[in-house]
Amino acid sequence: MKFFPLIFKNVFRKKTRTVLTIGSIILPLLVICLMGSFLSALNMPDPAQTRGMFRIVTRHKVGLASPLPVSYAEKIRQLDGAIAVTKFNWFGGKYIDDSARNFFARFAVDPETLVLVFDDATITSGSANDWFNDRAGSLVGEDLIKKFGWNIGDQVVLIGDIYPTTIQLTIRAVYKLQNEPSDALFFNRKYLEEVLPSFQGNVGTIWIKCRDGAAATKLADEIDQMFENSPYPTKTESEKAFQMGFVSMLGNVKLLVTSLTIIIVLVILLIAANTMALSARERVREIAVLRTLGFSSWKILTLILGESLILALIGGIIGLGAFIIGLKPLKASLMNTPISGFASAIKPFPEVLLLGLIITLLVGLLSGLAPAIRASQRPITEGLRHVG
Amino acid sequence: MDNPLIRVGNLVKNYHRGSEELTVLSGLNFIVEDGEFVALMGPSGSGKTTLLNLIAGIDRPTSGYIFVGTDEISSMTDSQLADWRSRHIGFIFQTYNLIPVLTAFENVELPLLLTPLGRVERRKHVEIALYIVGLSDRMSHYPRQLSGGQEQRVAIARAIVTDPTLLVADEPTGDLDAKSAEEILILLERLNSEFKKTIVIVTHDPRAAARARRIVHLEKGVLKEDIKAEDRGSVRLADSTLAFADVKS
Repeated sequence: MKFFPLIFKNVFRKKTRTVLTIGSIILPLLVICLMGSFLSALNMPDPAQTRGMFRIVTRHKVGLASPLPVSYAEKIRQLDGAIAVTKFNWFGGKYIDDSARNFFARFAVDPETLVLVFDDATITSGSANDWFNDRAGSLVGEDLIKKFGWNIGDQVVLIGDIYPTTIQLTIRAVYKLQNEPSDALFFNRKYLEEVLPSFQGNVGTIWIKCRDGAAATKLADEIDQMFENSPYPTKTESEKAFQMGFVSMLGNVKLLVTSLTIIIVLVILLIAANTMALSARERVREIAVLRTLGFSSWKILTLILGESLILALIGGIIGLGAFIIGLKPLKASLMNTPISGFASAIKPFPEVLLLGLIITLLVGLLSGLAPAIRASQRPITEGLRHVG
Repeated sequence: MDNPLIRVGNLVKNYHRGSEELTVLSGLNFIVEDGEFVALMGPSGSGKTTLLNLIAGIDRPTSGYIFVGTDEISSMTDSQLADWRSRHIGFIFQTYNLIPVLTAFENVELPLLLTPLGRVERRKHVEIALYIVGLSDRMSHYPRQLSGGQEQRVAIARAIVTDPTLLVADEPTGDLDAKSAEEILILLERLNSEFKKTIVIVTHDPRAAARARRIVHLEKGVLKEDIKAEDRGSVRLADSTLAFADVKS
């Protein structure tokens, strides 16, 4: 501890350089934490399953843009292990304008079966029956209600794009899902079938509530096998895998994120190592003086490593702190984007913070190691003669 | 020889410059009594700074031995030497070599950080050292806020703060104006006479050498002349030194 003031003063010897180096640790660390949280969110257990909800989703094998025949839902419902089945159609369209702020998920659904499949959701305002009884009614997530300041009975006008029609909906009920974002709007598919006859007979995805985990696994295979040789082959997966599927459309996201993280760590390491090497080179004579006074090679090594460690720790602590503090506004800003589902799942995971701290410590130790060894091993007389 | 503090025998120091081997000290024998004030003089390349570095334990001889007190420093390992220096050597440099980011107090405190002394005791030692060099009122000043003479006095305080066995100084007045140099020399003389410190300095400055009780002349790595004050009297010693300097220049 008695050497701490000496180490600290050396760290801040060149303030501008120190601040820039700390900044070069903070920013990449923020990115690493974000990417680490992203990966952790991908690996999180299915929140529905943790509540005993075993849902699977069937879609066209080719992709979400290809619809399935609506009759598939009834066929699936008759399979053993399927408790309830509901149909989803992505409506898309725009609310007010095309801005990200006004973007949210909009689905045409079967109201009666939707609440059976998603029976872990609670109606917090209005009632499900009101929605069932109003063909132009809608069920809206609590997050959307808060965001737009809507109330029961308010009108929501959606201008279609995939489906060329404008629909006017009345909010009849508000739902909330536990530990999951409640930020979608559902309306009765019959409304769409009436205004757009071409819509009839097609379904985007079929959601199935299964009896248990074993049934979910069995059903997924069974459904896909059932439609394997039909003109509309299917792909059935768990609810979480389906949601992750949106992300995996980007490619091998995990590999990409991990590779980027490694590259960023190496970049921080090089920047910090450069700073430490410069700092040690500028003090060759001073280090020789310290050794003349009786500081051993080991002590010099410790002092220089201490400097690089403190430099990295300052950057690391500020970076991790900024990540924790900045996460909330960042999530809020992403709630209006297509990745809102992910944004809501991102949080300061302890394992991510630990990873950030470990990276910080590694950067601190490794960046100072080479200059520290060089400085501690240089002959004293050579150091005393050093000019520069 | 009453009480020898430094005993150097058959000391050889070679340096390598590429494939060429340079002999800086060749079989030097040399003794310094406890409490002596010795000035090492000689032309550039005569080996005086090399000898000083070897005595101070910051360089290693090619062969021969060096005893300081009962310690044979020529056979110590690097870590043993570092520990030995921290307890026995006070080094004063020509260019002061203070750490610019530390205050005068912190610079003087540096060698004490290697001792088991607590914070309060360290403070007491630093205050005494700075009082001796007359800089009690400059404790919180940074080197850039001090004059050259004051910086050198801080460096002397740093050298004496651990109460070392031996003070070595390499051209301690080389970077100072005449007035400041005089003050430093008076201080060194006082440390020797009043505090009984054994001092070995390397100097080109005849006025500095004149303060010493003994002047050792080196030339081409061998001891050429050894003049003691007891033999000739301090005034005559000073004269002889000045005369020597005139001849050399």
